[in-house]
Amino acid sequence: MLHKVKVTLFNLLLLFFSFITVFPFVWMLVSSFKSNSEIVKIDGSFWPEHFSLSNYLNVQENFHFMTMFFNTLLIATVVTVCIIYTSSIVGFVLSKYKFKGRDQLFGLILATMMIPWAVTIIPKYDMMMKFGWIDSYAALIVPSLVSGFGIFLMRQNIMTIPDEVIEAARIDGASEYYIFHRIIMPMSRNAISSIAIFQFLWVWEDYLWPYLVINTDTKQMISVGLAMFNGQYSTDYGGLFAATAISIIPVIIVYIIFQKRFMEGIAGASVKG
Amino acid sequence: METIKGRNNIGVKADVKHKNRNIFTLKNIVITLLLVYFAVFLIYPIGMAFVGSFYNWNPLNGTFDFNGIKNYIDVLGDKLFWTSMSNTMIFSIIVIVCRILVGLLLALALFSKLARFKTAFRTIYYMPTITPLVAVSFVWVWLYNPQFGLINDLLGVDINWLKNKDTALGSVMFMTTWKDFGYATIIYLASLMSLPDDCFEAADIDGASGWNKFWYITWPLLKPTTILVAVTSLITYLQSYIQILVMTQGGPGTSTYTISYLIFDEAFVNYKFGTASAMSVILFIFISLLTLISFKLTKERS
Repeated sequence: MLHKVKVTLFNLLLLFFSFITVFPFVWMLVSSFKSNSEIVKIDGSFWPEHFSLSNYLNVQENFHFMTMFFNTLLIATVVTVCIIYTSSIVGFVLSKYKFKGRDQLFGLILATMMIPWAVTIIPKYDMMMKFGWIDSYAALIVPSLVSGFGIFLMRQNIMTIPDEVIEAARIDGASEYYIFHRIIMPMSRNAISSIAIFQFLWVWEDYLWPYLVINTDTKQMISVGLAMFNGQYSTDYGGLFAATAISIIPVIIVYIIFQKRFMEGIAGASVKG
Repeated sequence: METIKGRNNIGVKADVKHKNRNIFTLKNIVITLLLVYFAVFLIYPIGMAFVGSFYNWNPLNGTFDFNGIKNYIDVLGDKLFWTSMSNTMIFSIIVIVCRILVGLLLALALFSKLARFKTAFRTIYYMPTITPLVAVSFVWVWLYNPQFGLINDLLGVDINWLKNKDTALGSVMFMTTWKDFGYATIIYLASLMSLPDDCFEAADIDGASGWNKFWYITWPLLKPTTILVAVTSLITYLQSYIQILVMTQGGPGTSTYTISYLIFDEAFVNYKFGTASAMSVILFIFISLLTLISFKLTKERS
């Protein structure tokens, strides 16, 4: 009996923290269905009096918000696919070949994760201007083709694949390219999906770089779009809640579907590292 | 039969040797491309930041004139720089401590035998971490809103959290802790689950109390995890600027300026690339030193 009370109280505490965690999202979502006047009303109720989708419709009509949503979807997909490939192939080379300077190169890659964005961003921006890449997607894609985190994760993962597998394939006459594409890649599925999820989210939430290099509204990414929307319609809270919901809710849905992968990804990256 | 087999072996070996002589191997191509890529998008920008920090550099009118250490003198003599540095340190240290405390507490709770629905709680706690920071910062701006925000309603107070000099930085720190504690929870939980059972069993046999068990067994065993969380958080928080940009723009006054927000402001609002580069070089050295020290400390301890 005492045990039961203890368990209940203990889990109520956990539930309390869950409530604090989830509440802002629920409030945002519920408010996005209210009219603007209802949101700013003093002593308004938590639930909308009149459930309406008009905020969502207006956001696209006045602001091309969904265009930005799909731009971001496209760029995030392209960058993620590229990063998966570069991370896997560099991780493969760093873990399964012996050559002079290999450990130094790996050290350099680890060190890149420590470099503050503030150091490289000014010269990179200057470089984009000189390349004439301002306002083009090349500026969003090319400088983010290689990820230190991705290489690190893939190297750790591919190291656990036994050398005998590769030796056996070599004896059978498989080329190095065949070994990488047909053996190593399929065997690294778990690590690849962790990288995919994280990389996608990072592109999704990236603000500063698209803010700097993209000037045309209809080419813009979603995080910058949200800030622009706030700048132009700072009192249209209904619209703002809807726009925020559009940029957060899909991420949460993807997260809930793949939550097991997420946990394995971060836990794996930390414990192995 | 035997001779044919032997010949075959020789044939394979010769083939391997031939392959090694070919310079267009997968290994060589990958390493060359990687080095070229790093040279262009990493080494050159870092070098350029160092060089540019000694120049009067404005990309709008094309100025790029050498002016020695003037940028550094300006930066170090600027009161706002020091305000930003101290705000950044306060912000980082408090958020790191809170993140570790809340994260560890909830990880221990989830690890306990008393906890139910572990997967559901874990999933919920980690949720804010994966959501985009710009959007989440906006949600919190509205939560703190004195007119319709819920925080004042819930606490029964009337405070303009983000516009008040005394509460603004704290409000941003609270929001950041809320967003990030889940990462610490998951990492701690993973390492708790990888700890050997026999330590705890031995302690149970000795009849150690819960607190003693934590303080003498769990906490020391978790030290590497704590250092990992502390170092990664430090690197992240010394560079925080998004929540500042969205929630306070450094204000009211200069009470929430952080060093990375100041660099952003100096570079892309005032277009003073030279002074911004000087600041970023100082930040870089600062982060490297702190990381080095923390890794040295870990090595000495273990």
